Amino acid sequence: MNRFASIAKYTVMTVLAVISIIPILWMISGSLRPYEELFKYSSSLNIHLFVPVQPTLANFKEVIFSEGNPFLRYIANTLFVAGIVTLLVLLVNSMSAFAFAKLRFRGKAIVFALFMSAMIIPGEVTLVPNYLLMNYFGWLNSYKALVIPSMLSVFGIFLLRQFFAEIPDEILEAAKIDGASMTRTFSSIVLPAAVPPMITLALMTFLGNWDSYLWPLIVINDEKKQMIQVAIATFSSVEGTDWSKILAASTISTVPILILFLFLQRYYIQGITMSGVKG
Amino acid sequence: MTSVTAAAESASKTAPSSKKPRRFLRGEEITAWWFVLPSFALLLIFVFYPMLQAFVISFQNYNLVGSTRSFIGLDNYKSLMTDRDFLASLRHSFHFAIVVIPIQTAISLGLALLIQKKFKLTGLFRTLYFIPVVISTAVAATVFKLIYNKEFGILNNVLKTLHLPTTNFLSNPDTAMNGVIMLGIWKGVGFFMIIFLAGLNNIPQDLYEAARVDGATKIQQFFRITLPLLNRTTAFVVIMTTIDAIKLSGLVFVLTSGGPNGATETAVYYIYKMAFQQMQMGYGTAAAFILFAIVLAISLVQMRLFRNAEH
Repeated sequence: MNRFASIAKYTVMTVLAVISIIPILWMISGSLRPYEELFKYSSSLNIHLFVPVQPTLANFKEVIFSEGNPFLRYIANTLFVAGIVTLLVLLVNSMSAFAFAKLRFRGKAIVFALFMSAMIIPGEVTLVPNYLLMNYFGWLNSYKALVIPSMLSVFGIFLLRQFFAEIPDEILEAAKIDGASMTRTFSSIVLPAAVPPMITLALMTFLGNWDSYLWPLIVINDEKKQMIQVAIATFSSVEGTDWSKILAASTISTVPILILFLFLQRYYIQGITMSGVKG
Repeated sequence: MTSVTAAAESASKTAPSSKKPRRFLRGEEITAWWFVLPSFALLLIFVFYPMLQAFVISFQNYNLVGSTRSFIGLDNYKSLMTDRDFLASLRHSFHFAIVVIPIQTAISLGLALLIQKKFKLTGLFRTLYFIPVVISTAVAATVFKLIYNKEFGILNNVLKTLHLPTTNFLSNPDTAMNGVIMLGIWKGVGFFMIIFLAGLNNIPQDLYEAARVDGATKIQQFFRITLPLLNRTTAFVVIMTTIDAIKLSGLVFVLTSGGPNGATETAVYYIYKMAFQQMQMGYGTAAAFILFAIVLAISLVQMRLFRNAEH
């Protein structure tokens, strides 16, 4: 009976695992096959549903080097924007998290409550005014619109503050007595002690920006400046029929992220766990 | 910068009489404000100011193209109440939410229970279950569009093998929402599995041992120990899922563009369409406020229900 139960458990687990990753495997294998092949072997369940008969890299070549849809450029654009946003998020939010965790100042409780209350304000409500603000600043169609409003991470402040609070006050006092300025203490004692949560925040920010779709769709019009997600979505609705190219484009935008995730997943999972603790 | 100097001044007025600690605190206070300033400025400019702005705009007839802008009182809200398309979009969002909340919560709890006990392959399974979360919305929706395809999508392939009728999910108004729901659950469960896992690991193991000694079955243990002690985690998961589900938009943008025949047009999609395609900024923002009020009300009710369950 016990043996039966454990076999059943493994079977369920395996089936669920297959459902989780089959769409991704199918995407990757589809990107490696010629267009005709996608249809040819789809009439029944067989091994060639997933294993290409004539593997080819032609789809990737066309997608990367084509004049109409330069995906390498979209990826470079997105790497650039997501990278800069990540660096700035780390800097800006670690500074205020430090102040909230370790410094004494009047109004701290109120200001902190203001930050936390921002968590319930949904982006959908502020979408239109933020767009108008970008229009007013003249940032439409510029990366400023993607970078500057994204620099604030209330979750980041919340996350880092908890780690900073655990740094013993004695160490900071000692640095002060040795004549270190607050900035110096922050950059050479506090930050190095908080590398794991900084990686968590960096990873979550980077992936969030890599995924962002609606905001770039609204504020960026110039196709050459477009972000990868918008480019893929547009590509799949315009080129409606050339599915193998679409799969290739999806694959190149996904695989680097998957690899990054596989190496750093424990930081990412830590971040999610923290967001659950909050509730 | 006035706030910094003002804070420093009031500090010097009210600080205790001994001189040294006062100056010291004042220095610390100024530094603290400098550290908080960048993020505080961002908060005011890109969150609070837009929130106030949104409130004002929702009472205006604001068309960006015709550059008309006039105060019209409650007219936007009034017409939304009878706007068939808006009400239909709310219905679609609720349809999605009502199906997704119980199913997704149950599956993510199930997954968490499956991988909770540590054995050799736990880590591998956890990673596999989590992978859909990392796949971007646009890519996931694009791939699922192909999976649902009637001619060569693998879903119909599987249905055919099982001798079930094949269908093109997304081009039939009656089934299109199911296509969105399946994708939503596929992409969502891994995230909440992790939160449930953290909740499960917080339950003291000796409770289970005591129950076993008393002869409680696994099922009794689940309903008498696991579920009650997981109440706070479940509350968090259900409330978050509800908020996310009602605000669904990204998947719909790419998978169906609200079609066929508007059958999958959700509330946020409608807001986007009004504000950025028809350029009716005031009308779209008023719709966003109604949605925000609904989401807030539901969250409060849910919080209340879970708190009552705890006592």
